[in-house]
Amino acid sequence: MRKRNPVLVLSSSDEEGDGVRGCATSGGRCSSRRGSRSASAARKRPRGRGSRKSLPSASRDGHVAEFDMPSEEFCDHLHDFSKTPGITQTDTKELWTEKHKPHSLAELAVHKKKVEEVKRWLEERMKAPKEGIENCVLITGRSGVGKSTAIHVIASLLGADLCEWMSPTPTLWEEHVHNSNSGLQYMSKLDEFEGFIEKIRKYSLLHGAYAEELRKPTVLLIDDIPVTKGRASFSRLRKCIKTLIQSAQTPTVILITEYHKIESADSATEYWEELESSIEQAGAYKVGFNPITENSIKKTLTRICQEEKCDVPAQWIDHIARVSGGDIRHAITSLQYCCIKMVKSFPVHESVPNDTHDELKSGSPSLLSSASSGDGHINPQISLPWGRDEKITLFHALGKFLHNKRETPHAFALAPDLFTLKKKYARNPLKMDAPEEVLLQAHGQARTIMDFLQENVLDFVSDEATDSGWVVNSYLSDADYMLASILHPKFCRITETNESDSVRELVAASVAVRGVLFGNSHPSPSRWHTIRTPKLWQIEQTSRHSKIQMLPERFATYGTSSFCSLSSIATEYRPTIKWFYSPVNVHAHDNISESLHGENDMDCTDGSLEGKKSGESEEDDIEDW
Amino acid sequence: MLWVDKYRPRALDKIIAHEEIAQNLKKLVSEHDCPHLLFYGPTGSGKKTLVMALLKQMFGPGVEKVKLENKMWKIDAGTRKIELELTTLSSTHHVEMNPSDAGFQDRHIVQEIIKEMARNRPVDTKGKKGFKVLVLNEVDKLSREGQHSLRRTMEKYSASCRLILCCNSSSKVTEAVRSRCLNIRVNAPTEEQIIKVLEFIGKKENLQLPPGFTARIAAQSNRNLRRAILSFETCRVQQYPFTVNQALPPLDWEQYVSEIASDIMKEQSPKRLFSVRGKIYELLVNCIPPEIILKKLLSELLKKLDSELKHEVCHWAAYYEHRMRFGQKAIFHIEAFVAKFMSIYKAFLIATFG
Repeated sequence: MRKRNPVLVLSSSDEEGDGVRGCATSGGRCSSRRGSRSASAARKRPRGRGSRKSLPSASRDGHVAEFDMPSEEFCDHLHDFSKTPGITQTDTKELWTEKHKPHSLAELAVHKKKVEEVKRWLEERMKAPKEGIENCVLITGRSGVGKSTAIHVIASLLGADLCEWMSPTPTLWEEHVHNSNSGLQYMSKLDEFEGFIEKIRKYSLLHGAYAEELRKPTVLLIDDIPVTKGRASFSRLRKCIKTLIQSAQTPTVILITEYHKIESADSATEYWEELESSIEQAGAYKVGFNPITENSIKKTLTRICQEEKCDVPAQWIDHIARVSGGDIRHAITSLQYCCIKMVKSFPVHESVPNDTHDELKSGSPSLLSSASSGDGHINPQISLPWGRDEKITLFHALGKFLHNKRETPHAFALAPDLFTLKKKYARNPLKMDAPEEVLLQAHGQARTIMDFLQENVLDFVSDEATDSGWVVNSYLSDADYMLASILHPKFCRITETNESDSVRELVAASVAVRGVLFGNSHPSPSRWHTIRTPKLWQIEQTSRHSKIQMLPERFATYGTSSFCSLSSIATEYRPTIKWFYSPVNVHAHDNISESLHGENDMDCTDGSLEGKKSGESEEDDIEDW
Repeated sequence: MLWVDKYRPRALDKIIAHEEIAQNLKKLVSEHDCPHLLFYGPTGSGKKTLVMALLKQMFGPGVEKVKLENKMWKIDAGTRKIELELTTLSSTHHVEMNPSDAGFQDRHIVQEIIKEMARNRPVDTKGKKGFKVLVLNEVDKLSREGQHSLRRTMEKYSASCRLILCCNSSSKVTEAVRSRCLNIRVNAPTEEQIIKVLEFIGKKENLQLPPGFTARIAAQSNRNLRRAILSFETCRVQQYPFTVNQALPPLDWEQYVSEIASDIMKEQSPKRLFSVRGKIYELLVNCIPPEIILKKLLSELLKKLDSELKHEVCHWAAYYEHRMRFGQKAIFHIEAFVAKFMSIYKAFLIATFG
């Protein structure tokens, strides 16, 4: 790809000419903005050591959007690896994800049907680039399912040029502030995007000035939709995309990574869903990529192993494929890492660990099954941090806690107890990971978790077990007490650091969850329960509201020369005034009204009456709710 | 105007329920020696009445011309700037406010307002600088930091202003603040005193009071004068002329709490606990303070309880009340108390009746 248009195309690695694209240097420095998805996996955290030179210089850029940062350990091993010559059979400069990029449809791990669908679409559009019909396709899927790669492969297969919109490296705010004297304008990514859309609409630059270009079809790829915050900028983005879709003359591919499928606790969820639906509404054709199946990951991994001449045990490949969660990029990176590790830790292939379940902290259900079928040969020395952190939804986690599934008694009776507990304290082992880990996976905030537990737990306690009800509640009360000493600044000392706060929050959540698990010793027979949102939230809101309503009353009721405390209004004045106006006493109302009318504080009683009315309507709402 | 306000004594001389305190305060003012004052006592005992009467004694009727102000305070707290909205009542001589309205930032508001007051000291006709009085309500709800900063400002600005603090329980006010004030305990008026007040009002309103009627109101008022006067007035609205056996209209929330109590006594199960929670929510929505709910609930339960359980139940009520004070969400603790009660009571029933 030549520098023929304002679209900056930058590759993330130093070496030129890999695959479809080259490296356009801007200002002499190969600034690595995000290249293809797979290439971005090459990002490493620059380490403050002398040996940094051995790393690809591309790692300078810290802009990692959608990847888990490779762990320090990972970098460590890569270091060691690159420093030791002799045992390498790979070019260390390259990550395998980049090196073993598929070049043909056959090598692509994505499901054939989907690839075919996209290919057909692109072919059609390229043959007859008509005006008036939508020229956009939207591809969605989780990260690492090969969206970009598929497009690259298809484009090269069809002999099309792939133009990618690359926004320049964003200016950090601090940087901008620093530069503000020099008169540079701040451009947000959204601004850039808008400008870009405007340009291609006006000049249709992709059919550009070069005559030879006309022979070769181009495909526009937008992989990096700016993230916006707030409604205003979101609607700008939407407008932008709509313009793009409606005015596109070249086939355009938009990629959206679905984060929301796994991180449902996030509010970003809605954002992406909304964006997706608005793109679809604008007339784009949607193709959703599913996570890659275990088998095809395995196939790919085996192929890579053969090419790299790595002798990786089949179990490892199986395992990597299993824990990768359908993320092929992750799987390949794990494979590369584990090959390095193997070389390093076992120069001679004498011991091959055949079960690694206990090192893995991913906590995926498939893992557990492998553990239970485990053959006992555990090698605790090596720790292989493969596997993505599995995420579960908050509701899933709550379900686990509330249903409180436990092993049947005889299963654990075999295990000899080190010390015996009194019967009333003994519980069967849990049929789940440690509750804290489940909490971590669900990204639950202690407060939210507790509110949900409190709201729902009573449904799950059997109706006979009054004691359990108390035990559960007492633990929740403990947890609330703990949590409050963090959040309630009235009682916490200022000197306390954030660190201890977060520890306390964790502890509080753990107490609440374990309390619920322990306390509910007689769970009601399992049946379908819906998990309700805590009513408490609504209650708090309305009571805050009515408190605000009371504030002016506080002044008015007290003979207009002093304040009155809210509690005495709530407990004494209001009920009395309410009583005066209750329907039973309508006739009496006349009597009192004369005494009320004479004075100028009539408005005060009116106000309180209104307050009372709205209070009642709120009560009704709650009853319906 | 409600009778409570209409017949509120405006001068120290006219105070019926706490005559002795009133006289002492009067002496204090006449000697021009006014220390900081801390009034404490249960609700409805007449603290605010005393304070207002005292202010009038000090500055004359000018203190009754107050204006309500909702002011934004911009506070420079070291590294950041805080903006707070707070309602104050002020006359030329005094400012009254509820510092606990400001939430956890009460510390700043106390300092800032006192500083500002010290800046604008009133000058009397002789050119002598006088002092202003700051009335702080609900001091016991101030945070610890707020109370500490109160202590410092008290010392620093004692030349230019006097503080009058009001609270229900002096135990929730730090030692440091207490020792810098003249503590005045305003105890709940005795039933005789309440009867005296009610009869005074009856005379003013030209009401025929059947014998023993005021005594019944006084007995039901729980030694809360405000409550007694309010229920006296409701009786007047309900039926006049009064009859001897006239039923006293109860407060709706109290009735509700006693319903909850009988619910609890009837059945002890998680399901019942859940429905009790719903009822408590309703009380909370109406801004009934959770402490009061718990207290009332306990007394209702105790009424119906076998005496051998009373001690244990009280213990747990106290335990959860304490929790509630330090905790964040009151419902957690109230519910835990109810659950505990259910568990105790059920065990007792099983033990007794098998």
